[in-house]
Amino acid sequence: MARTSPPPRSELLKGTLDMLILRTLTLQPMHGYAVAQHIARLSNEVLSVEQGSLYPALERLLAQGFLTSKWGESPTGRKARYYTITASGRKHLGAEVSSFERVLGAIQRVMDNG
Amino acid sequence: MSMLDAVRYRLRALLRRSEYEREMADEMRFHLELDARMLRHDAHGALAPDDAALAARRKFGNITRWKEETRAMAGLGFFDVMRQDVSFALRSFRRTPAFCAVVIATLAIGIGANTAIFSAVYAVILRELPFREPDRLMTVHLVSPAAGEEPARDDHVWSYQKFVVMQGSQRVFQDVALYMDHMVSFRGSSGAERIEVEVAGARYLPAIGIQPALGRNFLAEEDQTPGNARVVLLGDAFWKRRYDADSGVIGKPLTLDGTPYTIVGVLPPGFRGLTGKASLLLPIMSLSNDWLGEAWSHSFLGVARLAHGVSGARATAEMQALGRRIDEKYPHPEIKDAHWGATARPLDASRVDPVVRRSLLVLMGAVALVLLIACANVGSLFLVRAAGRRREIAVRLAIGAGRGRLMRQLLTESLLLSIVGGTAGLAIAWWGVRLLGALDPSAALRRGNGLVDFAVIHLDWAAFIFALFLAIVTGLAFGLLPVLRATSLTLSADLKDGGDAPLARGRRRLTSRNALATLEVALALVLLAGAGLTLRSLRNLLGVSPGFDASRLLTLRVTAPEDVSRDSIPWMRQEVLDRVTAIPGVRGASVIDCPPMNGGCSGTVLARRDRPLAAPGTEPDVGVHWIAPSWPSTVGVPLLRGRFFTEGDRAGQGKVVLIGATAARRLFPGIDPIDRPVSVGQGGFWNDTARVVGVVGDVSFGTLESEVANEVYLPYAQSPNRRLMFFVRTAGDPLAMVASVRRIVRDVSPDAAVHDVRTMEDRIADSTVSARFSTLLLSLFGVLALALAAIGTYGVISYNASRRTREMGIRVALGATRAQLVRLVLGEGIAIAIVGGVIGLVAALAATRVLGALLYNVAPSDPATFVTIFALLTGVVLLASWLPARRAARVAPQEALRTE
Repeated sequence: MARTSPPPRSELLKGTLDMLILRTLTLQPMHGYAVAQHIARLSNEVLSVEQGSLYPALERLLAQGFLTSKWGESPTGRKARYYTITASGRKHLGAEVSSFERVLGAIQRVMDNG
Repeated sequence: MSMLDAVRYRLRALLRRSEYEREMADEMRFHLELDARMLRHDAHGALAPDDAALAARRKFGNITRWKEETRAMAGLGFFDVMRQDVSFALRSFRRTPAFCAVVIATLAIGIGANTAIFSAVYAVILRELPFREPDRLMTVHLVSPAAGEEPARDDHVWSYQKFVVMQGSQRVFQDVALYMDHMVSFRGSSGAERIEVEVAGARYLPAIGIQPALGRNFLAEEDQTPGNARVVLLGDAFWKRRYDADSGVIGKPLTLDGTPYTIVGVLPPGFRGLTGKASLLLPIMSLSNDWLGEAWSHSFLGVARLAHGVSGARATAEMQALGRRIDEKYPHPEIKDAHWGATARPLDASRVDPVVRRSLLVLMGAVALVLLIACANVGSLFLVRAAGRRREIAVRLAIGAGRGRLMRQLLTESLLLSIVGGTAGLAIAWWGVRLLGALDPSAALRRGNGLVDFAVIHLDWAAFIFALFLAIVTGLAFGLLPVLRATSLTLSADLKDGGDAPLARGRRRLTSRNALATLEVALALVLLAGAGLTLRSLRNLLGVSPGFDASRLLTLRVTAPEDVSRDSIPWMRQEVLDRVTAIPGVRGASVIDCPPMNGGCSGTVLARRDRPLAAPGTEPDVGVHWIAPSWPSTVGVPLLRGRFFTEGDRAGQGKVVLIGATAARRLFPGIDPIDRPVSVGQGGFWNDTARVVGVVGDVSFGTLESEVANEVYLPYAQSPNRRLMFFVRTAGDPLAMVASVRRIVRDVSPDAAVHDVRTMEDRIADSTVSARFSTLLLSLFGVLALALAAIGTYGVISYNASRRTREMGIRVALGATRAQLVRLVLGEGIAIAIVGGVIGLVAALAATRVLGALLYNVAPSDPATFVTIFALLTGVVLLASWLPARRAARVAPQEALRTE
């Protein structure tokens, strides 16, 4: 029995993962493994999840037109799929970041004055 | 840009599926391999390659799941699920082929028959007439009072003089015009031909909103003086056939009835006049003053276009007022208190023969019942199937299938069946529409005004979509029921005993399944009653003897041109008769002015001269016929008293008449009519006294349904008449003689036209065409309904029986006999048959009243028919429930107890 949609693990996480992927890809086009490594390293493994969850997220961003993908050669000479952020991906990232910051700021203020 | 990227990406994923799958697998393998290498690198070689690979797999998570979710993100989930659903549905159909076949056939029949009949109803009754602003068109009529045996009529034809009174004073119509169907002789390539034409006033075409395609309409000055308008408009078909659509035809001469006419225009394609039969249009002023000068010479139909802003009701009121003015100017010449009037009604009301209209509406009602039964059948089949799947559904819910997902699965199954059934239905509808066009009951009816004919029926898509929609909704509603139910059922109960706890339930409970089967039976009875009544009526009709032997009898009309003098016609008549009789294979030949089954012939009054004259206008009506002496013996009309005419009954000898048996009985009650003196109001027999020399058997000159009228026969030799209908009795196929007869007529009188060539059996068949049409279709629908009801009952009973297999086993184990088991199952069938039958009887008694006018010699509540139909239906339903009952009773107890 196939299931059309998986139960979301965490709404915050899902949105956040998209944002992190887009942010990572603003540096340069990367393949999936590099994106995963980059996020894991920078977040000090805090945001480490099952790495496979990266691929549905990448697929979603592709289908939304925020990314494009192209097969190329990795430094080790193997074929790998490289993801590039599009203009609308950058715009989407900007909107996501500002809304994230607003939420973060609100949480911060509550925590500070609490 | 990025939107385009996204769309392109999705499309590629969808269309190049295997490539997509390969790339996804490659990408994930690359990820895992790279991660494994990094892990070994981080561990400085302290990790075995296999362990590193495993660790990478652990970090990655369930690959299959991530692939599935990735596919879902690409929008592929929907298609995957659909493919699954369709293949699952196909698999389940393969397991139940009978179910599928019956559902598809039921849907196809219901949808197909409804679409076909509705297409006919739409084309013949509902669609706007093909004229400009057809709702402003009206027909105008005279209203005649009842006189003698003639009933009053409100659709009487006009005389030109009365029309002139109305036309000059009316203020409600923009245009009003007379028209009449007529025949003219025309010299074609293969000798003289008679063609049907219309004679009409100059305002006729403007009134109905038709413009000549070429040339001009009749001018106002061609609408003034009788006998001087020698112009003609060609019909489109005539123009194309005779003139190869030559546009230079305007101004050319055309000789009709020996008179030269000038072609002034061509009518647009498809327009054959309001009679629907005209090849040419002649001006009303081409007629002689005989037609136009006499106020009591009624021959013309009237059509009118309402002026702007005038309602039909106001026009009718004004026409009634004008009718009184006409009556003042032309009062009834004989009866003082009898007043003529006038009226108007929408043209649309006379577009089709009332009998055809009624038949079509009855058929539409009948076919709607078939659709209802079909829906009930599909519904009950789905219910049975759904109930059988309760355990399957419970299992699937138990292992975690979502409710929505299950619904989608069932929806797919219903839709698949509906699509296949609908497609088959479309094929049936297409075929049915062609069949209806071919059956065309209106063509043979001389009434109706030819505005529409069955050739214009096209498949009506709106009707098809409506029927398809109804069928799909039924399928869906009943297909989804199991899931809706499943949410309320306790899973464990369904898993445990496989559904109903049969012993705990009331045995005779009227479930929704049984209710549907009962409904089907009731509806089927209504349809069967209708079919039975029309069948009985048709049988009565076909049993009516026309009064003579119609077999192997060729009939054909010979019309001499107008310019042939009256005196040469008797010679021509006799010469043709003599030569035709001499043809080998001809048993006899004779001639009459107007054939039997003509829907009526000339009528007049008859006065007895052996007693004082009755008051004028109160003499009895008679049909009057001109015959050669051999006519009764040739066609087989028996002589009851006296003698037939002989060659001795000539001009100059004492005038003689024959009368029919009914006339003898009614006009000479209790006395011998032979040698009684009479006067006949036509043929120069009014001022003279003629002797009745013989009484012959009754002949139907009207229709088979009509009552036999008083008939009187005059000899051609004593009363000249140009109208000649030859009757040729042949040894073999009558139509094989046509060529020889035509040749003889051409030899004897080169300008005479031979037309209206048909066998007598054909003419009789025409008079029953409408009855045969509705009987055929009603019977077809009745049989369909019977079959569907039987299938529905069979399905429900066999399902119910199979649900009770275990109960049966227990009963057998406890000592029940096979007969008792059969009775147990059959009981349900009996309940369905009786309850459905009785409901159906009540409904049918109400419903068949609409058939009243269509039935001949059968009451709409004819007890014999109802009893027969009730017995037939209950018999079939019982048979349908006996089969599963017998099967259920054969089950061995151990086997029964072991099931489930």
